[in-house]
Amino acid sequence: MAYTLTRATDDAVAADNARYPLSERQRAEDPMKQQVHRNVFTGKLDEVLNSAVNWGRKNSLWPYNFGLSCCYVEMTTAFTAPHDIARFGAEVIRASPRQADFMVIAGTCFIKMAPVIQQLYDQMLEPKWVISMGSCANSGGMYDIYSVVQGVDKFLPVDVYIPGCPPRPEAFLQGLQLLQDSIQEERRPLSWVVGDQGVYRAEMPSQREKMREQRIQATELRTPDSV
Amino acid sequence: MSVATPRSDSSTTGASADPVVEALKQHFGDQAIREQDTLTGLPVLWVAREALTDVIGFLRNMPQPFEMLFDLSALDERLRGQRHGLPDADFTVFYHLLSVSRNRDVMLKVALAEGDLALPSIVSLYPNANWYEREVWDMFGIDFRGHPHLARILMPPTWHGHPLRKDYPARATEFDPYTLTVEGQDKEQQALQFDPEAWGMRRGNDDTEFMFLNLGPNHPSAHGAFRIVLQLDGEEIVDCVPDIGYHHRGAEKMAERQSWHSFIPYTDRIDYTGGVMNNLPYILAAEKLAGIQVTSRAETIRVMMAELFRINSHLLFLGTYLQDLGAMTPVFFTFTDRQKAYEVIEAITGFRMHPAWYRIGGVAHDLPNGWDRLMQGFLDWMPKRLREYERVMMENAIVIERTRHIAAFNTKEALAWGVTGPNLRATGCDFDLRKQRPYSGYENFDFEIPLGANGDAFDRGQLRIDEMRQSLRIIQQCVDNMPAGDYKADHPLTTPPPRDKMLQHIETLITHFLQVSWGPVLKPNESLQMIEATKGINSYYLTSDGNTMSYRTRIRTPSFPHLQQIPMLMRGGFVPDLIAHLGSIDFVMADVDR
Repeated sequence: MAYTLTRATDDAVAADNARYPLSERQRAEDPMKQQVHRNVFTGKLDEVLNSAVNWGRKNSLWPYNFGLSCCYVEMTTAFTAPHDIARFGAEVIRASPRQADFMVIAGTCFIKMAPVIQQLYDQMLEPKWVISMGSCANSGGMYDIYSVVQGVDKFLPVDVYIPGCPPRPEAFLQGLQLLQDSIQEERRPLSWVVGDQGVYRAEMPSQREKMREQRIQATELRTPDSV
Repeated sequence: MSVATPRSDSSTTGASADPVVEALKQHFGDQAIREQDTLTGLPVLWVAREALTDVIGFLRNMPQPFEMLFDLSALDERLRGQRHGLPDADFTVFYHLLSVSRNRDVMLKVALAEGDLALPSIVSLYPNANWYEREVWDMFGIDFRGHPHLARILMPPTWHGHPLRKDYPARATEFDPYTLTVEGQDKEQQALQFDPEAWGMRRGNDDTEFMFLNLGPNHPSAHGAFRIVLQLDGEEIVDCVPDIGYHHRGAEKMAERQSWHSFIPYTDRIDYTGGVMNNLPYILAAEKLAGIQVTSRAETIRVMMAELFRINSHLLFLGTYLQDLGAMTPVFFTFTDRQKAYEVIEAITGFRMHPAWYRIGGVAHDLPNGWDRLMQGFLDWMPKRLREYERVMMENAIVIERTRHIAAFNTKEALAWGVTGPNLRATGCDFDLRKQRPYSGYENFDFEIPLGANGDAFDRGQLRIDEMRQSLRIIQQCVDNMPAGDYKADHPLTTPPPRDKMLQHIETLITHFLQVSWGPVLKPNESLQMIEATKGINSYYLTSDGNTMSYRTRIRTPSFPHLQQIPMLMRGGFVPDLIAHLGSIDFVMADVDR
């Protein structure tokens, strides 16, 4: 599997004209391979350790209580009884970015709000992830207008994009599960003294391409004439 | 407070018969008041800039006065082609005044030349003019002399230009792509720093040094991107400054480049918990311009769906209001009810939050078979739940203790600050447009307007539970008496136009094609429609220049003045009272910043 390698750059040493996102990214091979070549037994051990840590991480994701607009209503709907996000271990909503694992950009990213979003993202501790929820956060959506940033990925690194305006709560839950799948494949340093300190993010298959075959099978849609 | 009986002439065209206009003419002379004939249904009067303060003062202080400054905004006239009989103007500022005691409105317009964009401020007459004048300064660059703090309100302090001017680009893609640099981040954060001196605040008195607490723009109790800076003496709020504009989506500018029809989805996202309720004032105003009379089936379907969204919005309110007071459980209950409402909404409209389902001339499609069974299920489900919320929550000693006599205001204060909707009725003022100025067939329904007595945070919560009951009653009447007939008016400007007509001959096919590709062309005129939306009075004031797009769409939203009123209420209160009050206002930021 191919990976994107991110090495976090220290904010304090960043040049003034450096653009967000600050971290450098490059494509890389699976770092595990080198390990395996070194010793087949420790290679196996590493894999077990990595998957165990990732399994823990992905099943106790704490979301940051952050909402911008309409999408946030659908996001909170996913937290309530009918959808019950606790099934996926992500119900511990945190009001402080310092305690949160991931941030959902649920709503429109405004130019006036962008520096605030960046500040809050910076306050989150590694490991951290970003879900972009809804058309506005994905690309500006229907708001190609002077006050709106055309997609939050203009300055934040996004892990999962959820389409919709707004996406249904079920779509949010699916996005969360996709994030979990991606976390399972991730390679992060097991400790600050063990091995390579970069973050290797797995390149997960695009859902659009994955589902295309199945979707084009649908030739007749239900009429809205009856409930 | 007494309120005049409903007017029978809902579309007043003979403005000169208006006693207010007569009184103005008598006092200021015929020349000083110039009438404009519009489809707004209220007298529109042009006055000279020099006379403005006197005219507004006269209306403010006359017997049965105009208690409320309902709206204040402007219009860039420079590209407007169809201005027959209007005074010369590069920019027009309009003042929409409302009298609850007369149940009448009046709109004043002032013409301004490009080289001299200044007006006297009317903050001393109407305190809520403060934010409206700041918005006009921000969006149009018009100066208000004597304004206490004329600063940007919607755009960031570092912004250049005035977006609603006709020579300002609308699209983000017309500008350079957005980038955020480390330096830019620092600069923007510096600009957001609160400077007490700029607001005339002291950093301390003889005994204590005040603490300035920044609440927002992201705070769990702020209901979205809203910021309020508190000047604190211990836990007591000495003063506070609400800061908005973190949710400005440029909806008014957007209307100037969307066809009349394709703007409908944008209205859904103004008060984003209100769904199709938002379509209603826009559609009704556009239909006035087009001269479309819709069928009674379309009217009834619209009322039914609007009321269902009112319940849905009030349920969200109730859950978050109680959550802000510290109760975790109610939100799980009310969202379960919301899910039930969405099942009905989705079956009928095909979407959950923003169906954009109303059309100019009707609705998108007819009600599906079996809708009444679904709706009845919801109507049977809700009453016992509402009773339970009352029993468990509103009769709860902690809730009562936290909200009784908290952030209370009376009718007079409410009107002076432009407060409308349930928040106004919580003060005991019986002013609901569904009764006072019925639209879309509300006059045919049997329902009551619940009123509060104390105008405090408790009444604002309780009132919404009572309102939900009345909405259920209205929906029940819709289910029982849904008129047969067409769901769309048979009119050439109805969008999309009736299809069977198009299939008859080539001429109608061409018209159909143009209508679908360009959208309908509406005659040059102005129209306005107010409705009783979920959070208060929402109005759309449309100016057509005879084009496929609106020349100017002014959206007056209820939450904007509600937030402006906060400092007046919170001075001397405590931080937890502020949180209780924020929960009881029922606002969403898109309804403030648009």
